[in-house]
Amino acid sequence: MSTATPTPAAQDRGGKFLTFYLADEEYGVEILKVQEIIGMQPITRVPRTPAFIRGVINLRGKVIPIMDLRERFGMESAEAALQGASEADVQAAEAVRCIIVVQVVNPAGQAVPVGIVVDRVSEVSSIGGGEIEDAPSFGSGVRTEYLLGLGKAQGRVKLLLDIDRVLAADELEQLAESESVDAAA
Amino acid sequence: MLPTDVDLDLLKDFLVESRDCITGSEAALLALEHTPDDMEAVNTVFRAFHTVKGTSAFIGLARMTAFAHEAESLLSRVRDREIAYTKACATLSLRSVDMLKALLDAVEETLRADGPGGALDRPDGYQALIDALVGYDGSAAAPALPAAAAAAPAADDEQGPQAERRQGDRRQGDRRQGDRRQGGNEADQFLRVRTDRLDRLIDMVGELVIAQSMISGDERLAGAARGQGATGAHHELTKKITHAGKIVRELQDLSMSMRMVPLKGTFQKLTRLVRDVAAKLGKDVEFVTEGEDTEIDRNMVDVVGDPLVHMVRNAIDHGVEGPEDRLRAGKARQGRVKLSAYQAGGSVIVELQDDGKGLHRDKIARKAIERGLIESDRGMTDSEVFQLIFAPGFSTAEKITDVSGRGVGMDVVKRNIESVRGRVEIASEPGKGTTFYVRLPLTLAVTDGMLVRVGAERYVVPTTNIHMSFRPERAMLQTVGGRGEVVTLRGEVMPVVRLHRLFNVAGAEEDPTQALLMIVGDGHQRRTALLVDELLGQSQVVAKSLGDGIGAVGGIAGGAILGDGRVGLILDVGDIVALAQSGEATAERPETRRAVA
Repeated sequence: MSTATPTPAAQDRGGKFLTFYLADEEYGVEILKVQEIIGMQPITRVPRTPAFIRGVINLRGKVIPIMDLRERFGMESAEAALQGASEADVQAAEAVRCIIVVQVVNPAGQAVPVGIVVDRVSEVSSIGGGEIEDAPSFGSGVRTEYLLGLGKAQGRVKLLLDIDRVLAADELEQLAESESVDAAA
Repeated sequence: MLPTDVDLDLLKDFLVESRDCITGSEAALLALEHTPDDMEAVNTVFRAFHTVKGTSAFIGLARMTAFAHEAESLLSRVRDREIAYTKACATLSLRSVDMLKALLDAVEETLRADGPGGALDRPDGYQALIDALVGYDGSAAAPALPAAAAAAPAADDEQGPQAERRQGDRRQGDRRQGDRRQGGNEADQFLRVRTDRLDRLIDMVGELVIAQSMISGDERLAGAARGQGATGAHHELTKKITHAGKIVRELQDLSMSMRMVPLKGTFQKLTRLVRDVAAKLGKDVEFVTEGEDTEIDRNMVDVVGDPLVHMVRNAIDHGVEGPEDRLRAGKARQGRVKLSAYQAGGSVIVELQDDGKGLHRDKIARKAIERGLIESDRGMTDSEVFQLIFAPGFSTAEKITDVSGRGVGMDVVKRNIESVRGRVEIASEPGKGTTFYVRLPLTLAVTDGMLVRVGAERYVVPTTNIHMSFRPERAMLQTVGGRGEVVTLRGEVMPVVRLHRLFNVAGAEEDPTQALLMIVGDGHQRRTALLVDELLGQSQVVAKSLGDGIGAVGGIAGGAILGDGRVGLILDVGDIVALAQSGEATAERPETRRAVA
């Protein structure tokens, strides 16, 4: 993948990204999509929704949904990952877990705020279009259509998310359907 | 035709502005009927027509410009004391107002359907009215209206409700704007604000109230104050917090009041309606309004406007008798319809009173039996019998007129009012008259709810859906078909919905005799018992959507910010009952309810 030459489209993908961790993987979202970062807070569970919808919170008077990206990408849940860890480790992990509020564009073309739970926020990094490569197809895990590409900065690879697609409502519905079918089976 | 090069934004502004002008002029015209010498009112109307003329010429709407010119000329002759403002002149002016509305509607319609370049319809009676305006010579005789123009109002009445409804929306929304036109020098006192910004402000103030109560309720503060014997630094701090609290509460009252608008606009519209309907039916009616400064939620104004139109029409058509009948009955020749509004016990009451012939219990009962609505009226109170007129398809009009009597009115009235959680009551005495009481909540924004706990989760159940709640005894519970549960209360068998099972909540009370059953129903469905752990108390909440990211969730009507700042979910009782009966919680009657997508 180091030999791949960036396409013109890839050039356009450059910009500033807010990066964060899920498990050991570093992800990035375009900084312009980010509204704010807030600390973890009690989330009201909404029944009869897919598992990756953690629920809703009150963001200064506005009710916004919270998504769990680990669940979305089929990763082990944060709680499960910490099983067997020492109390201090659990506390440390919980202290840095937070919610990134992003503005996603819904099918009607309006920007709506959605919160995503991440293990910890890393940094804001500038990644030039030349340092972004198309995502190869992985066997499993993150579906490539969710990725803008793979960004390289400071020798590390960051998975740059196309957050609109990750959280797109029609995707959610499809998933909800397939899950309910799974549950029924 | 709409000019092809028209600036769309400009055109939209023009439509809104012109409607405001016309609304203001209509009110002034009606006022002129009582004080024909009020030159300020004449000027208001003149200015309105003039503004429409000027802007329509600028945009290139030739027909509207020509018409506004004629209407304006008539008024300018009145202003210059060339002709007197007679009844005939008033009728012409009011018709001109209607025609301008029709022209504006045509522009809007074309804009929507065809866009720039589209052909504009010429409203019916246009030419006749122009001729009448031009030919008007100010003689005291009846207006020289050709037959076609006389027919125009009839056609207008047919479209009346829609036209007025459209107009009504704007009128309410831009009512203040209309006032500005009339007031002239009050131009700076009102400001148009986007509703979403206003709603956001109200949200933020709600948050501020919560944040404030968290500070004032902070344990450290309370504990420290106790420890220090309420003296010293903490005493000072407590004082400051109390002070801030007062400001916050005042701010909250203020922000809530921003959504409120007076009923004046609605009442004004009805004044015009009374005039037209009474003239048409040959009745002499005095229309009195009271309390038009009473305020209700902005969103409610639109919803109650139509029912009131209908009720006023009915009062004049069916209630008030013709002049001869009135004299025979020993009443004053002129009938009286009174519309009043006032606040009482957390509601706004709009009262419509007529001194007409009143409702005849027997006649209504007979009709209801005929229509199969009831078997017999025995044991029914008068008020229960009167409520029958709200049943769909019920109409006591002996002949169908185009004013009322199509039998589609009163049930819609009731439905509309109930849709904003209001109620209609009737009091009537034969021969003396009828009074309708429309009771409306002060605001739509706040839902009265009961906070319940299920496991660790809390839900809000709208109070209007709750009939009662109780702790069942073992003997009241039964299982049907091994799976569905029912409870029997005073002979009524109701399915039991275990909310924790439906919503998959862990840690909830499994034993109904240790928990609570809440009897709920939305009025149309079979009553159902919801199993909840306990009641946490009543609360008034502001209903919000769960956010576009989630969409509609079965059984949940929305979210609300609770007193501790967390989100509580508001249950959609009708949906829950349907969900449960689709076979998930009660296997008893799975075929009767719709499947949930």
